Amino acid sequence: MLSLDTLSLVFVGLIVLGTIPNIFYSSGYLPHIERKVHYQLHYYSFIVSMLGVVVSANALVFLFFWELMSLTSWQLILTEVKDKSTIKAARFYFIMTHFGFVFLLLFFLIVTDGDLSMGFVAMKEVAAGFAYTTLLFFFLVLGFLSKAGAVPLHVWLPYAHPAAPSPVSALMSGVMLKVAIYGLFRFLFDVLYPWPLEWGIVILSIGALSSLVGVLYALSEHDIKALLANHSIENIGIILIGFGMGMIFDTLGLYALSTFSFIAALFHTFNHMSFKSLLFMSAGAVLHQTHTKNMEKYGGLIKKMPVSAFTFLIAAISISALPPSNGFLSEWMIFQSMLSSSHIDVMALKLAIPFAIFALAMTGGLAIACFVKAYGITFLGLHRSTNAKHAKEVNLLMKSGMIMMALVIFSLMLFTPFYLQWFDKVLVELGHVSVYKDIFPNGFWHMHSIGMNGGIVSPIILLLSLLGVTVLMLVAYKLFGVKVRFCHTWACGYNTGAKTQYSATGFAGPIRRFFNWLYKADEHFTKQTIAGHETKFISSDYEVHVKPLFERIFYDSFGKVIAYISYWVYRLAHFEQTRYAAMIFNIMLVVLFSYRVFSHEFSWATFILEFFVMLISVKILIIGDKK
Amino acid sequence: MIIYLLSILLLIGVAPLLLSYIKAVKMVMLFKRPISIFQGYRNFAKLMHKETILSKESSAITLYAPFLVLSPLTVVMFFLPPIVHGSYYVSFVDAFTITGLISLSTFFLMLLGLDSASAFGGMGSSREAFISALVEPAMVLTIFSVSLMAGNLGVGQAGVNLAQHFPQEHMASFLFAGISFFILLLAENGRIPVDNPETHLELTMVHEAMILDLSGVYLAIIETAASIKFVIFASLFASLFMPLGLEYSTPIAMLFFFVKLFFIATLVAFLEVNTAKLRLFKIPNLLGIAIVFAFLSLITFYVLGA
Repeated sequence: MLSLDTLSLVFVGLIVLGTIPNIFYSSGYLPHIERKVHYQLHYYSFIVSMLGVVVSANALVFLFFWELMSLTSWQLILTEVKDKSTIKAARFYFIMTHFGFVFLLLFFLIVTDGDLSMGFVAMKEVAAGFAYTTLLFFFLVLGFLSKAGAVPLHVWLPYAHPAAPSPVSALMSGVMLKVAIYGLFRFLFDVLYPWPLEWGIVILSIGALSSLVGVLYALSEHDIKALLANHSIENIGIILIGFGMGMIFDTLGLYALSTFSFIAALFHTFNHMSFKSLLFMSAGAVLHQTHTKNMEKYGGLIKKMPVSAFTFLIAAISISALPPSNGFLSEWMIFQSMLSSSHIDVMALKLAIPFAIFALAMTGGLAIACFVKAYGITFLGLHRSTNAKHAKEVNLLMKSGMIMMALVIFSLMLFTPFYLQWFDKVLVELGHVSVYKDIFPNGFWHMHSIGMNGGIVSPIILLLSLLGVTVLMLVAYKLFGVKVRFCHTWACGYNTGAKTQYSATGFAGPIRRFFNWLYKADEHFTKQTIAGHETKFISSDYEVHVKPLFERIFYDSFGKVIAYISYWVYRLAHFEQTRYAAMIFNIMLVVLFSYRVFSHEFSWATFILEFFVMLISVKILIIGDKK
Repeated sequence: MIIYLLSILLLIGVAPLLLSYIKAVKMVMLFKRPISIFQGYRNFAKLMHKETILSKESSAITLYAPFLVLSPLTVVMFFLPPIVHGSYYVSFVDAFTITGLISLSTFFLMLLGLDSASAFGGMGSSREAFISALVEPAMVLTIFSVSLMAGNLGVGQAGVNLAQHFPQEHMASFLFAGISFFILLLAENGRIPVDNPETHLELTMVHEAMILDLSGVYLAIIETAASIKFVIFASLFASLFMPLGLEYSTPIAMLFFFVKLFFIATLVAFLEVNTAKLRLFKIPNLLGIAIVFAFLSLITFYVLGA
């Protein structure tokens, strides 16, 4: 019923690392919550259910814990219902998570032959006997990636994650999404192993698209938690890029490179857990003090909340993939695995992978822009509202949660070889070759790439040299004895005020304008002019709102189709009796005509004649005149 | 090892000289009386002795960020390809690390811009974020293509490999990558088609806007960082795309390398005089050209092998 192989163990490790700081943080957050029992009950059963998913050994237990995980997190979103949007977000989450569940259930019903208590290894034979394995693959993709929030099943994520209380957002974004990645690892390796080339390409394209879409919508967001939730989409995309490269290399027989890419994906999974949890915790601390999620109301919080500001900075450096952070190391590995695509001898694929490299590099650049915005607008400058002015540092428990998570980030950075060793063991157990010795051929100082013209990175040397040079400079600065005078920022003769600072909307302005073909933003600009002057005004108000393209195209148009159908169903239910008689007459006509068409000899002339007879009869008898 | 350290010191020393040289060349070409090419050192000395004024609105970021802007760039100086045959070079650092370190420096520079609660700083940061986000993909693709030709992703090793075995058979893709890298050199250092380093007009400035509220020692640090960044890019261009002259005897090779640096500086000065600064929203077109050339370089390498 339960089993603990290395893959499960590694993910148990991930969940433990992600939840222990979170429990501290959550305990500090608890006084803020009204329904304490409800919250605690669901919070702990949520953690237990995640652990249950990764250690379960048969389909029934897996599905049970999976569903428990969905339901508890759904209830956790509903802990603090302040406005209607929370209920709407929870409903959206409920629907999307069960949309995925249906596909998982279908998958399991097929691969277990109806016997849901079958172990995972036994499923492999059933799956091998099934004629349409690609169908199974798509069930898995729909099932797990709707949970992980990959494009195009990501739309619920920026609504659901911010609506939950902050510790829960950290858990959902930091840990729960990774459980879906676990599912992908588990079932693609254990059940559907020999993968066709196309599957890897599908995963790679989903990953590349998710990373770009996630970061672009994050940039246009002013709600700090929605911004972070959009970054989760981006990072899941990066993980999937590594995963897809691994699948492609495996199919092409480049086994060492395949292991390297999968290790990169696993490493990024861990790193995303660490920095995203920390970001949500720090953002939660800010939110706790300022009572708003709107970034335009923050500012200058670094002076009031130094611990939150410092931990946010560490996590921001890490998520922006700047050296020597752990985020940089895993993104470096993923880049290396893509650069190794020069080993591939399928020319079309070889030429296509640079586009994925382009997507990932673009994502990296935009992520830096986005986190400069998030950090700069939230913590730097002057306070933009009275709430921000009166903010204080959060309590000790919350602080200790954040500091512990920062330590997790440091441990991932400093003890990279230790973690990679475990990931290597996972892949060996899943039937891949071991590459740990090739990544660290001489000690833990240098990390090597597997590819022929691959690079080397030395995280610890980088960290030490950066620290050393900075400290040397600071010492020189102190010895130099600089005379410092304090003065207000020069504002061209006017008073320096909070309103003249750059806003989050303004900061993202150039990028929003450049990507306007994608955003199609709703802009509202009103100003109260003086005596009809165009350029002189008392007050002006500029607001911009971006509705995601995918939501507009897929989800809204789906809603429109449903509304259209239900309108006709309604019309049908409210016909007069003569109409029903006409319909019965028409159906009889269809039956008679089709009987002739299918059973007797077929001729186009009569077919067309009958078609027009049907058309006229439907038009006159059923549809009637337009009113 | 001594030559290695000496070359680093020389490169750091020559950094302010190069920027003053560009300015002097530009002034000559505009029929003005040129400034002394030692103006950079004079400015540095002057700033070091001036009073440092800090903004009351700023926070700890302003106190530490200037050092964090300079230190990644200083670290990169140690990782550059060798300028003399047989000298020591760092073989364990690849091009990604170097772009990462440069991004780290830019990251803190952008935070510095937002810290002083001034509209100028925010404007500069916002524009810099926009430009550097678009530079990133071109940079990575160019690195990829160069690493294929040099047979190694490590910058030091790539420089040595290219010098020993000039990629004559891959001349086309080498040239494309070179064009792409030169555009990136201009964009990353805020030279004219992208940013004008000499104006203080709010419509045009990017780099200057971010550092408008700094003075004294802090300004000296940032100015040094800017000049070191130019030297990094110029010497990368000199080592990777003009891999000649490494085999001469040590003093001549060193001299030759500095001649190459001044050649690049002259090229930049010529370009600056002859082109107008682009509007902010035209810059993506220029960077798009860099991206396209990087792609072309990869595709010609793969498909034509040329």
